[in-house]
Amino acid sequence: MAAMTKAPVGALAVGWAFFKLGMTTYGGAASAAIGDEMVRRRKWITYEEFLTFRSIALVAPGPNSPNLAILIGRHLAGPGGALLAFMAATVPGVVAIVLFGLLALTTHSAIGGTLRGCAAAAVGLAFANALEMTAPWRSDVLRLGIVATTFVAVMVLHAPLWLTFVIFLPVSLVLLRRKPQTRN
Amino acid sequence: MALLSVLSFGGANAVLPQLHADVVDQQHWITSAELARFWALGQLVPGPTLSVGALIGYAVAGLAGAAVASVALYVPAAVIVYALGSAWERYHANPWRDRLAAGFAPVVLGLIWAGCATLFRGAVDGMPTAVIALAAGALIIGTRVHRVAIILAAGAVGYIWLR
Repeated sequence: MAAMTKAPVGALAVGWAFFKLGMTTYGGAASAAIGDEMVRRRKWITYEEFLTFRSIALVAPGPNSPNLAILIGRHLAGPGGALLAFMAATVPGVVAIVLFGLLALTTHSAIGGTLRGCAAAAVGLAFANALEMTAPWRSDVLRLGIVATTFVAVMVLHAPLWLTFVIFLPVSLVLLRRKPQTRN
Repeated sequence: MALLSVLSFGGANAVLPQLHADVVDQQHWITSAELARFWALGQLVPGPTLSVGALIGYAVAGLAGAAVASVALYVPAAVIVYALGSAWERYHANPWRDRLAAGFAPVVLGLIWAGCATLFRGAVDGMPTAVIALAAGALIIGTRVHRVAIILAAGAVGYIWLR
């Protein structure tokens, strides 16, 4: 990854983007939606930068999507961008769950089908996002190998997150030390 | 909950066992069944699952409880992440930073694929949901339809098809 590109984006624009993301994403699929919006739609950051921020968000404490909001908001528009993006990523969810909790604890089954449909679509979108991030490496056997081994370690062997990083990060660093990025 | 915030590595699911131990077993604020119901809601509502903390706070002490719980869960971790982001950009000229980023990328992508598989297990439970997921993936890659429009359309399909 070369020098990070810094697009001229205002704190308000960043906050508004994350507000819309916060209102339209669910649980674990949120990070995929942030990648789609920031990289593919708005082109504010590159997939490379997204993966870097995703790494920091994963390694740091706290839920992933507000972490990503802080890191990307800060990168694009400084402290104001970070603060607005963080508020936008957390406040709507908190307000929604309190309202929803009051309403839906009684009428849960009526909206169940709708929410299951939304959740299924979110899965499809998450897979599409992962596919797009992997595509530039389709002829890079080494990187694909690290991706695949990490996947197996987590899904099949149930390795905890910290152990995954402790084992795979040094391996990845050593294997890739003389290999330039194949994507641009 | 402030302590949980600093320890909440890896997202909300990793926090659930500790949250249960604190608010159900130790403090007796809510019951185990209530926590499970709150948790399901947290995954259905927009935003991060951890907003479930607000609902627990609300159940315990009303709106003020919701506010205190949210601040305690989100803010300490947010401060740490901001500091990490600052440190990361300060070392932008250091060759080690790019090497570290290059090393992180395939590992995190593996984790992202694992996350997809976990989501798949939770949300795809038969033919209808599988078709919706496939159609959504094909639409976002093949057309310029916006993500939100796809999710809303899937909700409409689910309302009719998944009752």
